[in-house]
Amino acid sequence: MPGPILSIRQAVIGFEMDNPLLVDVNLEVHPGEIIGVIGRSGIGKSTLLRTIAGLLPPISGDIDVPNEKGEIGYIPQRLGLINHQNVGYNVMMGALARAPFWQTLFSLPGAELRQSARDAIEAVGLSDKVLDSISQLSGGQQQRVAIARSMVQNPSLLLADECLGELDSETAKEIIELIQKLAKESNIAIIIVDHNPVRVATFCDRVLQVKGVRIEEVNV
Amino acid sequence: MKIIQHLQKRPSLIVYTGIVILAILISNKLGITIDNLGQAWGNAGILWSEMFPPDFSVVTDRASWSQTKCTWEADWACSAAIHGLMETIEIAFLATLFGMLLSLPLSMMAAHNLSPIWLSTITRHFLAGLRVLPSLVWALIFVIMFGPGPLAGVLAMTLYTVGYLGKLQYEALEGVSRHPLEAARAMGLPRWQIARYFALPEASNAILSQILFMFEYNIRHGSVIGLVGAGGIGWYLNNYLGVFSRYDRALALIIVIYVAVVIIDQISLSIRHRFMDSETHAPRARWREIIPFFTKREV
Repeated sequence: MPGPILSIRQAVIGFEMDNPLLVDVNLEVHPGEIIGVIGRSGIGKSTLLRTIAGLLPPISGDIDVPNEKGEIGYIPQRLGLINHQNVGYNVMMGALARAPFWQTLFSLPGAELRQSARDAIEAVGLSDKVLDSISQLSGGQQQRVAIARSMVQNPSLLLADECLGELDSETAKEIIELIQKLAKESNIAIIIVDHNPVRVATFCDRVLQVKGVRIEEVNV
Repeated sequence: MKIIQHLQKRPSLIVYTGIVILAILISNKLGITIDNLGQAWGNAGILWSEMFPPDFSVVTDRASWSQTKCTWEADWACSAAIHGLMETIEIAFLATLFGMLLSLPLSMMAAHNLSPIWLSTITRHFLAGLRVLPSLVWALIFVIMFGPGPLAGVLAMTLYTVGYLGKLQYEALEGVSRHPLEAARAMGLPRWQIARYFALPEASNAILSQILFMFEYNIRHGSVIGLVGAGGIGWYLNNYLGVFSRYDRALALIIVIYVAVVIIDQISLSIRHRFMDSETHAPRARWREIIPFFTKREV
Protein backbone atom coordinates (compact mmCIF):
# COMPACT_ATOMS: atom_id res chain seq x y z
CA MET A 1 0.00 0.00 0.00
CA PRO A 2 1.41 3.44 -0.90
CA GLY A 3 2.20 5.90 1.88
CA PRO A 4 -0.61 7.96 3.38
CA ILE A 5 -1.77 11.07 1.57
CA LEU A 6 -3.07 12.51 4.85
CA SER A 7 -1.60 11.97 8.24
CA ILE A 8 -3.00 13.52 11.42
CA ARG A 9 -1.18 12.99 14.70
CA GLN A 10 -2.40 13.96 18.16
CA ALA A 11 -4.35 16.88 16.77
CA VAL A 12 -6.67 19.07 18.81
CA ILE A 13 -9.25 20.74 16.61
CA GLY A 14 -11.67 23.59 17.29
CA PHE A 15 -11.76 27.32 17.84
CA GLU A 16 -10.93 27.72 21.53
CA MET A 17 -8.06 26.09 23.36
CA ASP A 18 -10.18 25.79 26.51
CA ASN A 19 -13.09 24.26 24.68
CA PRO A 20 -11.90 22.15 21.72
CA LEU A 21 -14.33 20.33 19.49
CA LEU A 22 -12.10 17.30 18.88
CA VAL A 23 -9.10 16.03 20.81
CA ASP A 24 -6.55 13.32 20.20
CA VAL A 25 -7.33 13.04 16.50
CA ASN A 26 -5.16 10.45 14.77
CA LEU A 27 -5.85 9.50 11.20
CA GLU A 28 -4.08 8.16 8.13
CA VAL A 29 -5.73 8.15 4.73
CA HIS A 30 -4.24 6.40 1.69
CA PRO A 31 -4.73 7.13 -2.02
CA GLY A 32 -7.93 5.66 -3.41
CA GLU A 33 -9.52 5.25 0.03
CA ILE A 34 -12.99 6.56 0.81
CA ILE A 35 -13.45 7.53 4.44
CA GLY A 36 -16.89 8.37 5.84
CA VAL A 37 -17.27 10.66 8.84
CA ILE A 38 -20.53 10.51 10.76
CA GLY A 39 -21.84 12.13 13.92
CA ARG A 40 -24.59 14.38 15.12
CA SER A 41 -24.94 17.97 13.91
CA GLY A 42 -22.62 20.62 15.36
CA ILE A 43 -20.19 18.10 16.80
CA GLY A 44 -17.21 19.21 14.69
CA LYS A 45 -17.29 17.15 11.49
CA SER A 46 -17.20 20.19 9.20
CA THR A 47 -14.55 21.84 11.39
CA LEU A 48 -12.43 18.71 10.98
CA LEU A 49 -12.68 18.96 7.18
CA ARG A 50 -11.99 22.71 7.20
CA THR A 51 -8.92 22.12 9.33
CA ILE A 52 -7.63 19.41 6.98
CA ALA A 53 -8.31 21.77 4.07
CA GLY A 54 -6.07 24.37 5.69
CA LEU A 55 -8.89 26.85 6.24
CA LEU A 56 -8.48 26.67 10.03
CA PRO A 57 -5.31 25.97 11.97
CA PRO A 58 -5.36 23.05 14.41
CA ILE A 59 -5.12 24.07 18.08
CA SER A 60 -2.25 21.63 18.43
CA GLY A 61 -0.84 18.51 16.82
CA ASP A 62 0.41 17.77 13.31
CA ILE A 63 -1.51 17.53 10.09
CA ASP A 64 0.49 16.44 7.05
CA VAL A 65 -1.35 17.06 3.79
CA PRO A 66 -0.11 17.54 0.25
CA ASN A 67 0.87 21.19 0.20
CA GLU A 68 1.22 21.78 -3.51
CA LYS A 69 -1.32 23.95 -5.30
CA GLY A 70 -4.40 21.99 -6.37
CA GLU A 71 -3.60 18.88 -4.33
CA ILE A 72 -6.59 19.35 -2.02
CA GLY A 73 -10.15 19.51 -3.31
CA TYR A 74 -12.89 20.76 -1.05
CA ILE A 75 -16.64 20.59 -1.60
CA PRO A 76 -18.22 22.69 1.17
CA GLN A 77 -21.61 21.97 2.68
CA ARG A 78 -23.32 24.33 0.23
CA LEU A 79 -21.07 23.09 -2.60
CA GLY A 80 -19.25 26.39 -3.05
CA LEU A 81 -20.45 26.95 -6.59
CA ILE A 82 -20.55 30.38 -8.20
CA ASN A 83 -24.28 30.83 -8.53
CA HIS A 84 -24.11 33.71 -10.98
CA GLN A 85 -22.08 31.70 -13.48
CA ASN A 86 -22.89 28.76 -15.69
CA VAL A 87 -21.95 25.09 -15.37
CA GLY A 88 -18.98 25.37 -17.73
CA TYR A 89 -17.43 28.26 -15.81
CA ASN A 90 -17.82 26.49 -12.47
CA VAL A 91 -16.21 23.29 -13.74
CA MET A 92 -13.37 25.31 -15.28
CA MET A 93 -12.60 26.67 -11.81
CA GLY A 94 -11.13 23.28 -11.00
CA ALA A 95 -8.64 23.78 -13.83
CA LEU A 96 -7.36 27.03 -12.32
CA ALA A 97 -5.35 25.09 -9.77
CA ARG A 98 -3.57 23.17 -12.53
CA ALA A 99 -3.05 26.00 -15.01
CA PRO A 100 0.22 27.93 -15.27
CA PHE A 101 0.09 31.44 -13.81
CA TRP A 102 0.37 33.25 -17.16
CA GLN A 103 -2.58 31.31 -18.61
CA THR A 104 -4.94 32.62 -15.93
CA LEU A 105 -3.78 36.22 -15.91
CA PHE A 106 -6.45 37.60 -18.23
CA SER A 107 -8.79 34.72 -18.95
CA LEU A 108 -9.56 31.12 -18.14
CA PRO A 109 -7.06 28.29 -18.88
CA GLY A 110 -6.21 27.05 -22.36
CA ALA A 111 -7.60 24.50 -24.77
CA GLU A 112 -6.29 21.38 -23.07
CA LEU A 113 -7.83 22.21 -19.71
CA ARG A 114 -11.02 23.33 -21.41
CA GLN A 115 -11.21 19.91 -23.01
CA SER A 116 -10.76 18.24 -19.62
CA ALA A 117 -13.63 20.39 -18.33
CA ARG A 118 -15.82 19.23 -21.23
CA ASP A 119 -14.89 15.60 -20.48
CA ALA A 120 -15.74 16.02 -16.78
CA ILE A 121 -19.09 17.60 -17.61
CA GLU A 122 -19.83 14.72 -19.94
CA ALA A 123 -18.79 12.19 -17.27
CA VAL A 124 -21.32 13.63 -14.80
CA GLY A 125 -24.01 13.69 -17.47
CA LEU A 126 -24.47 17.44 -17.79
CA SER A 127 -23.34 17.96 -21.40
CA ASP A 128 -26.63 19.60 -22.30
CA LYS A 129 -26.41 22.01 -19.35
CA VAL A 130 -23.00 23.56 -20.01
CA LEU A 131 -24.36 27.07 -20.48
CA ASP A 132 -27.09 26.80 -17.85
CA SER A 133 -26.79 28.97 -14.77
CA ILE A 134 -26.26 27.11 -11.48
CA SER A 135 -29.54 28.49 -10.16
CA GLN A 136 -31.38 26.72 -12.97
CA LEU A 137 -30.15 23.30 -11.83
CA SER A 138 -31.66 20.87 -9.35
CA GLY A 139 -29.84 19.94 -6.12
CA GLY A 140 -28.54 16.71 -7.64
CA GLN A 141 -27.28 18.47 -10.76
CA GLN A 142 -25.48 21.03 -8.60
CA GLN A 143 -23.74 18.19 -6.72
CA ARG A 144 -22.62 16.81 -10.08
CA VAL A 145 -21.16 20.19 -11.03
CA ALA A 146 -19.19 20.26 -7.77
CA ILE A 147 -17.89 16.75 -8.48
CA ALA A 148 -17.02 17.65 -12.07
CA ARG A 149 -15.05 20.63 -10.75
CA SER A 150 -13.09 18.26 -8.50
CA MET A 151 -12.53 15.86 -11.42
CA VAL A 152 -10.94 18.66 -13.46
CA GLN A 153 -8.86 19.73 -10.48
CA ASN A 154 -7.76 16.11 -10.00
CA PRO A 155 -6.62 16.52 -6.38
CA SER A 156 -4.82 13.87 -4.30
CA LEU A 157 -7.26 14.39 -1.46
CA LEU A 158 -10.93 15.37 -1.80
CA LEU A 159 -12.89 16.61 1.19
CA ALA A 160 -16.66 16.56 0.73
CA ASP A 161 -18.83 18.07 3.44
CA GLU A 162 -22.35 16.62 3.38
CA CYS A 163 -22.27 16.67 -0.39
CA LEU A 164 -25.04 14.07 -0.49
CA GLY A 165 -27.17 16.45 1.57
CA GLU A 166 -30.86 15.85 1.41
CA LEU A 167 -30.85 14.12 -1.97
CA ASP A 168 -33.40 11.45 -2.77
CA SER A 169 -32.04 7.91 -2.72
CA GLU A 170 -31.93 7.58 -6.51
CA THR A 171 -29.90 10.77 -7.02
CA ALA A 172 -27.70 10.02 -4.00
CA LYS A 173 -26.91 6.63 -5.54
CA GLU A 174 -25.80 8.28 -8.78
CA ILE A 175 -23.59 10.74 -6.91
CA ILE A 176 -22.08 7.90 -4.82
CA GLU A 177 -21.21 6.03 -8.03
CA LEU A 178 -19.41 9.14 -9.27
CA ILE A 179 -17.49 9.45 -5.99
CA GLN A 180 -16.47 5.78 -6.13
CA LYS A 181 -15.38 6.18 -9.75
CA LEU A 182 -13.32 9.22 -8.80
CA ALA A 183 -11.58 7.33 -5.98
CA LYS A 184 -10.86 4.16 -7.91
CA GLU A 185 -10.03 5.49 -11.38
CA SER A 186 -8.06 8.57 -10.33
CA ASN A 187 -6.72 7.08 -7.09
CA ILE A 188 -8.01 10.05 -5.11
CA ALA A 189 -8.39 9.76 -1.33
CA ILE A 190 -11.83 10.99 -0.33
CA ILE A 191 -13.13 12.01 3.08
CA ILE A 192 -16.87 12.46 3.03
CA VAL A 193 -18.98 13.80 5.88
CA ASP A 194 -22.52 12.50 5.96
CA HIS A 195 -25.29 12.27 8.53
CA ASN A 196 -26.62 8.94 7.26
CA PRO A 197 -24.57 6.03 8.75
CA VAL A 198 -26.33 3.34 6.72
CA ARG A 199 -25.67 5.13 3.44
CA VAL A 200 -22.03 5.81 4.34
CA ALA A 201 -21.46 2.12 5.13
CA THR A 202 -22.50 1.14 1.62
CA PHE A 203 -19.67 2.89 -0.20
CA CYS A 204 -16.94 3.88 2.28
CA ASP A 205 -13.86 1.77 2.98
CA ARG A 206 -13.78 3.00 6.56
CA VAL A 207 -16.28 4.88 8.71
CA LEU A 208 -15.26 7.24 11.50
CA GLN A 209 -17.74 8.35 14.11
CA VAL A 210 -17.38 11.54 16.10
CA LYS A 211 -18.50 10.82 19.66
CA GLY A 212 -18.17 13.62 22.18
CA VAL A 213 -14.75 15.09 21.49
CA ARG A 214 -13.17 11.94 20.05
CA ILE A 215 -13.15 10.20 16.70
CA GLU A 216 -13.30 6.44 16.54
CA GLU A 217 -13.50 3.94 13.72
CA VAL A 218 -16.75 2.00 13.71
CA ASN A 219 -18.25 -0.95 11.91
CA VAL A 220 -21.63 0.16 10.72
CA MET B 1 -49.11 71.87 35.70
CA LYS B 2 -51.44 70.13 33.30
CA ILE B 3 -48.91 70.65 30.48
CA ILE B 4 -46.09 69.13 32.57
CA GLN B 5 -48.27 66.15 33.49
CA HIS B 6 -49.17 65.70 29.83
CA LEU B 7 -45.51 65.85 28.80
CA GLN B 8 -44.57 63.29 31.46
CA LYS B 9 -47.05 60.88 29.90
CA ARG B 10 -45.77 61.55 26.39
CA PRO B 11 -41.92 61.61 26.47
CA SER B 12 -41.81 61.77 22.67
CA LEU B 13 -43.40 65.23 22.87
CA ILE B 14 -40.46 66.42 25.00
CA VAL B 15 -38.07 65.21 22.29
CA TYR B 16 -40.04 66.88 19.45
CA THR B 17 -40.39 70.13 21.42
CA GLY B 18 -36.64 70.02 22.15
CA ILE B 19 -35.86 69.59 18.44
CA VAL B 20 -38.09 72.54 17.49
CA ILE B 21 -36.47 74.79 20.14
CA LEU B 22 -33.00 73.70 18.98
CA ALA B 23 -33.91 74.50 15.35
CA ILE B 24 -35.12 77.98 16.35
CA LEU B 25 -31.95 78.66 18.35
CA ILE B 26 -29.67 77.50 15.49
CA SER B 27 -31.61 79.60 12.93
CA ASN B 28 -31.22 82.62 15.19
CA LYS B 29 -27.49 81.98 15.56
CA LEU B 30 -27.07 81.69 11.78
CA GLY B 31 -29.03 84.89 11.21
CA ILE B 32 -31.90 83.17 9.41
CA THR B 33 -34.87 85.34 10.23
CA ILE B 34 -38.34 85.96 8.84
CA ASP B 35 -37.07 89.36 7.60
CA ASN B 36 -34.42 87.62 5.46
CA LEU B 37 -37.02 85.35 3.99
CA GLY B 38 -39.24 88.34 3.21
CA GLN B 39 -36.42 90.02 1.26
CA ALA B 40 -35.72 86.76 -0.58
CA TRP B 41 -39.34 86.61 -1.69
CA GLY B 42 -38.90 89.99 -3.31
CA ASN B 43 -35.81 88.83 -5.22
CA ALA B 44 -37.55 85.59 -6.14
CA GLY B 45 -40.35 87.64 -7.72
CA ILE B 46 -37.86 89.54 -9.90
CA LEU B 47 -36.08 86.31 -10.87
CA TRP B 48 -39.39 84.64 -11.65
CA SER B 49 -40.51 87.47 -13.96
CA GLU B 50 -37.19 87.39 -15.82
CA MET B 51 -37.20 83.64 -16.14
CA PHE B 52 -40.53 83.36 -17.89
CA PRO B 53 -41.07 82.44 -20.61
CA PRO B 54 -37.99 80.19 -20.93
CA ASP B 55 -35.89 81.01 -24.02
CA PHE B 56 -35.34 77.79 -25.92
CA SER B 57 -32.97 79.41 -28.38
CA VAL B 58 -30.34 77.68 -26.21
CA VAL B 59 -31.37 74.47 -27.98
CA THR B 60 -31.42 75.88 -31.52
CA ASP B 61 -28.80 78.65 -31.75
CA ARG B 62 -25.06 78.10 -32.02
CA ALA B 63 -23.17 79.10 -28.87
CA SER B 64 -20.12 80.75 -30.41
CA TRP B 65 -18.64 81.31 -26.95
CA SER B 66 -18.51 77.60 -26.08
CA GLN B 67 -15.71 76.45 -23.79
CA THR B 68 -14.57 73.67 -26.15
CA LYS B 69 -14.52 73.82 -29.94
CA CYS B 70 -17.66 72.57 -31.67
CA THR B 71 -17.05 71.30 -35.21
CA TRP B 72 -20.58 70.30 -36.15
CA GLU B 73 -22.19 72.24 -39.00
CA ALA B 74 -25.70 72.20 -37.61
CA ASP B 75 -26.33 75.13 -35.26
CA TRP B 76 -28.46 73.07 -32.87
CA ALA B 77 -25.63 70.55 -32.42
CA CYS B 78 -23.40 73.38 -31.23
CA SER B 79 -26.05 75.03 -29.09
CA ALA B 80 -25.42 75.64 -25.40
CA ALA B 81 -27.92 72.94 -24.41
CA ILE B 82 -26.93 70.14 -26.80
CA HIS B 83 -23.18 70.80 -26.88
CA GLY B 84 -23.13 71.28 -23.10
CA LEU B 85 -25.23 68.20 -22.45
CA MET B 86 -23.09 66.05 -24.74
CA GLU B 87 -19.98 67.32 -22.98
CA THR B 88 -21.51 66.49 -19.59
CA ILE B 89 -22.33 62.94 -20.77
CA GLU B 90 -18.83 62.56 -22.23
CA ILE B 91 -17.22 63.73 -18.97
CA ALA B 92 -19.46 61.36 -16.98
CA PHE B 93 -18.62 58.46 -19.30
CA LEU B 94 -14.86 58.94 -19.04
CA ALA B 95 -15.01 59.53 -15.28
CA THR B 96 -17.10 56.38 -14.76
CA LEU B 97 -14.83 54.30 -16.98
CA PHE B 98 -11.57 55.48 -15.38
CA GLY B 99 -13.17 55.36 -11.93
CA MET B 100 -14.32 51.77 -12.47
CA LEU B 101 -10.92 50.63 -13.77
CA LEU B 102 -9.22 52.10 -10.71
CA SER B 103 -11.85 51.15 -8.14
CA LEU B 104 -12.13 47.45 -9.08
CA PRO B 105 -8.62 46.42 -7.96
CA LEU B 106 -8.84 48.80 -5.00
CA SER B 107 -12.15 47.29 -3.87
CA MET B 108 -10.65 43.80 -4.03
CA MET B 109 -7.77 45.03 -1.87
CA ALA B 110 -10.22 46.66 0.55
CA ALA B 111 -12.49 43.62 1.01
CA HIS B 112 -11.78 41.87 4.34
CA ASN B 113 -12.63 38.45 2.90
CA LEU B 114 -10.13 38.79 0.05
CA SER B 115 -7.18 40.67 1.48
CA PRO B 116 -5.02 40.61 4.58
CA ILE B 117 -6.29 42.95 7.26
CA TRP B 118 -3.37 45.41 6.95
CA LEU B 119 -3.95 45.88 3.21
CA SER B 120 -7.74 46.19 3.48
CA THR B 121 -7.40 48.75 6.29
CA ILE B 122 -4.94 50.93 4.34
CA THR B 123 -7.06 50.72 1.17
CA ARG B 124 -10.26 51.58 3.04
CA HIS B 125 -8.61 54.66 4.53
CA PHE B 126 -7.43 55.70 1.06
CA LEU B 127 -10.95 55.30 -0.40
CA ALA B 128 -12.45 57.17 2.56
CA GLY B 129 -9.92 59.96 1.94
CA LEU B 130 -11.15 60.31 -1.66
CA ARG B 131 -14.72 60.59 -0.42
CA VAL B 132 -13.94 63.32 2.09
CA LEU B 133 -14.17 65.99 -0.60
CA PRO B 134 -17.24 66.15 -2.85
CA SER B 135 -16.61 66.20 -6.59
CA LEU B 136 -17.36 69.95 -6.66
CA VAL B 137 -14.37 70.66 -4.42
CA TRP B 138 -12.17 68.27 -6.42
CA ALA B 139 -13.31 70.18 -9.52
CA LEU B 140 -12.27 73.49 -7.93
CA ILE B 141 -8.84 72.04 -7.14
CA PHE B 142 -8.35 70.70 -10.67
CA VAL B 143 -9.60 73.93 -12.27
CA ILE B 144 -6.86 75.72 -10.31
CA MET B 145 -4.30 73.08 -11.40
CA PHE B 146 -5.26 72.56 -15.06
CA GLY B 147 -7.42 75.58 -15.83
CA PRO B 148 -11.13 75.56 -16.69
CA GLY B 149 -12.38 72.83 -19.02
CA PRO B 150 -13.52 69.22 -19.28
CA LEU B 151 -10.13 67.81 -18.15
CA ALA B 152 -10.67 69.22 -14.66
CA GLY B 153 -14.20 67.76 -14.70
CA VAL B 154 -13.05 64.29 -15.75
CA LEU B 155 -10.30 64.20 -13.12
CA ALA B 156 -12.58 65.49 -10.35
CA MET B 157 -15.35 63.03 -11.08
CA THR B 158 -12.90 60.16 -11.57
CA LEU B 159 -11.47 60.66 -8.10
CA TYR B 160 -14.91 60.89 -6.55
CA THR B 161 -16.04 57.81 -8.52
CA VAL B 162 -13.05 55.80 -7.27
CA GLY B 163 -13.86 56.66 -3.65
CA TYR B 164 -17.57 56.09 -3.91
CA LEU B 165 -17.62 53.09 -6.26
CA GLY B 166 -14.72 51.48 -4.41
CA LYS B 167 -16.73 51.50 -1.20
CA LEU B 168 -19.87 50.11 -2.87
CA GLN B 169 -17.84 47.41 -4.58
CA TYR B 170 -15.91 46.18 -1.55
CA GLU B 171 -19.20 45.95 0.34
CA ALA B 172 -20.63 43.87 -2.52
CA LEU B 173 -17.52 41.65 -2.53
CA GLU B 174 -17.73 41.15 1.22
CA GLY B 175 -21.36 40.08 0.80
CA VAL B 176 -20.31 37.10 -1.35
CA SER B 177 -20.95 33.66 0.17
CA ARG B 178 -17.86 32.26 1.93
CA HIS B 179 -18.35 28.76 0.50
CA PRO B 180 -16.97 29.31 -3.04
CA LEU B 181 -14.09 31.31 -1.56
CA GLU B 182 -13.27 28.50 0.87
CA ALA B 183 -13.36 25.93 -1.94
CA ALA B 184 -10.89 28.14 -3.83
CA ARG B 185 -8.67 28.65 -0.77
CA ALA B 186 -8.55 24.89 -0.14
CA MET B 187 -7.41 24.43 -3.77
CA GLY B 188 -4.45 26.62 -2.88
CA LEU B 189 -5.31 29.43 -5.29
CA PRO B 190 -3.61 32.78 -4.69
CA ARG B 191 -5.71 35.69 -3.41
CA TRP B 192 -5.85 37.49 -6.75
CA GLN B 193 -7.28 34.40 -8.50
CA ILE B 194 -9.87 33.96 -5.75
CA ALA B 195 -10.87 37.61 -6.13
CA ARG B 196 -10.83 37.61 -9.94
CA TYR B 197 -12.45 34.25 -10.67
CA PHE B 198 -14.63 33.53 -7.62
CA ALA B 199 -15.59 36.71 -5.76
CA LEU B 200 -15.94 39.05 -8.72
CA PRO B 201 -18.31 36.86 -10.80
CA GLU B 202 -20.39 36.15 -7.69
CA ALA B 203 -20.75 39.88 -7.00
CA SER B 204 -21.00 40.81 -10.69
CA ASN B 205 -24.72 41.65 -10.68
CA ALA B 206 -24.34 44.12 -7.85
CA ILE B 207 -21.14 45.60 -9.28
CA LEU B 208 -22.58 46.13 -12.78
CA SER B 209 -25.65 47.72 -11.25
CA GLN B 210 -23.44 50.04 -9.17
CA ILE B 211 -21.39 51.08 -12.23
CA LEU B 212 -24.54 52.01 -14.12
CA PHE B 213 -25.84 53.90 -11.10
CA MET B 214 -22.52 55.76 -10.87
CA PHE B 215 -22.70 56.72 -14.55
CA GLU B 216 -26.19 58.09 -14.03
CA TYR B 217 -25.02 59.90 -10.85
CA ASN B 218 -22.03 61.38 -12.70
CA ILE B 219 -24.29 62.77 -15.43
CA ARG B 220 -26.45 64.45 -12.81
CA HIS B 221 -23.41 65.70 -10.98
CA GLY B 222 -21.69 66.77 -14.20
CA SER B 223 -24.15 69.66 -14.35
CA VAL B 224 -22.93 70.89 -10.97
CA ILE B 225 -19.17 70.76 -11.53
CA GLY B 226 -19.64 72.93 -14.64
CA LEU B 227 -20.59 75.74 -12.27
CA VAL B 228 -16.96 76.03 -11.18
CA GLY B 229 -15.66 75.91 -14.76
CA ALA B 230 -15.03 72.18 -15.07
CA GLY B 231 -16.88 71.82 -18.38
CA GLY B 232 -20.28 70.53 -19.35
CA ILE B 233 -23.72 72.10 -19.38
CA GLY B 234 -23.17 73.57 -15.90
CA TRP B 235 -20.63 75.96 -17.37
CA TYR B 236 -23.25 77.42 -19.74
CA LEU B 237 -25.76 77.55 -16.90
CA ASN B 238 -23.28 79.43 -14.73
CA ASN B 239 -22.70 81.99 -17.48
CA TYR B 240 -26.42 82.54 -18.10
CA LEU B 241 -27.00 82.97 -14.36
CA GLY B 242 -23.90 85.13 -13.79
CA VAL B 243 -22.14 86.97 -16.62
CA PHE B 244 -25.10 87.23 -19.03
CA SER B 245 -27.89 87.37 -16.43
CA ARG B 246 -30.20 85.65 -18.94
CA TYR B 247 -32.48 83.84 -16.51
CA ASP B 248 -34.93 82.86 -19.27
CA ARG B 249 -32.14 80.94 -21.03
CA ALA B 250 -30.94 79.50 -17.72
CA LEU B 251 -34.46 78.17 -17.09
CA ALA B 252 -34.50 76.59 -20.57
CA LEU B 253 -31.19 74.88 -19.76
CA ILE B 254 -32.56 73.65 -16.42
CA ILE B 255 -35.57 72.16 -18.26
CA VAL B 256 -33.22 70.47 -20.77
CA ILE B 257 -31.12 69.05 -17.91
CA TYR B 258 -34.27 67.82 -16.16
CA VAL B 259 -35.59 66.06 -19.30
CA ALA B 260 -32.17 64.51 -20.01
CA VAL B 261 -31.79 63.27 -16.44
CA VAL B 262 -35.28 61.73 -16.45
CA ILE B 263 -34.58 59.91 -19.75
CA ILE B 264 -31.15 58.69 -18.62
CA ASP B 265 -32.60 57.60 -15.23
CA GLN B 266 -35.20 55.49 -17.00
CA ILE B 267 -32.70 53.88 -19.39
CA SER B 268 -30.27 53.21 -16.54
CA LEU B 269 -33.03 51.83 -14.31
CA SER B 270 -34.28 49.44 -16.98
CA ILE B 271 -30.74 48.12 -17.57
CA ARG B 272 -29.92 47.96 -13.86
CA HIS B 273 -33.13 46.06 -13.26
CA ARG B 274 -31.58 43.19 -15.22
CA PHE B 275 -28.62 43.11 -12.89
CA MET B 276 -30.42 43.60 -9.61
CA ASP B 277 -29.77 40.72 -7.29
CA SER B 278 -32.91 40.42 -5.24
CA GLU B 279 -32.45 36.68 -4.80
CA THR B 280 -29.22 35.03 -3.71
CA HIS B 281 -29.37 32.56 -6.55
CA ALA B 282 -30.49 34.95 -9.26
CA PRO B 283 -28.91 34.00 -12.57
CA ARG B 284 -26.18 36.29 -13.76
CA ALA B 285 -27.53 38.86 -16.17
CA ARG B 286 -25.93 38.54 -19.54
CA TRP B 287 -25.08 41.40 -21.82
CA ARG B 288 -26.15 39.20 -24.72
CA GLU B 289 -29.72 39.48 -23.42
CA ILE B 290 -29.41 43.24 -23.40
CA ILE B 291 -27.40 43.51 -26.61
CA PRO B 292 -29.20 41.02 -28.88
CA PHE B 293 -26.46 40.76 -31.49
CA PHE B 294 -23.98 39.50 -28.90
CA THR B 295 -23.23 35.87 -29.68
CA LYS B 296 -23.29 32.97 -27.24
CA ARG B 297 -19.99 32.12 -25.66
CA GLU B 298 -18.63 28.61 -26.02
CA VAL B 299 -17.13 26.93 -22.95
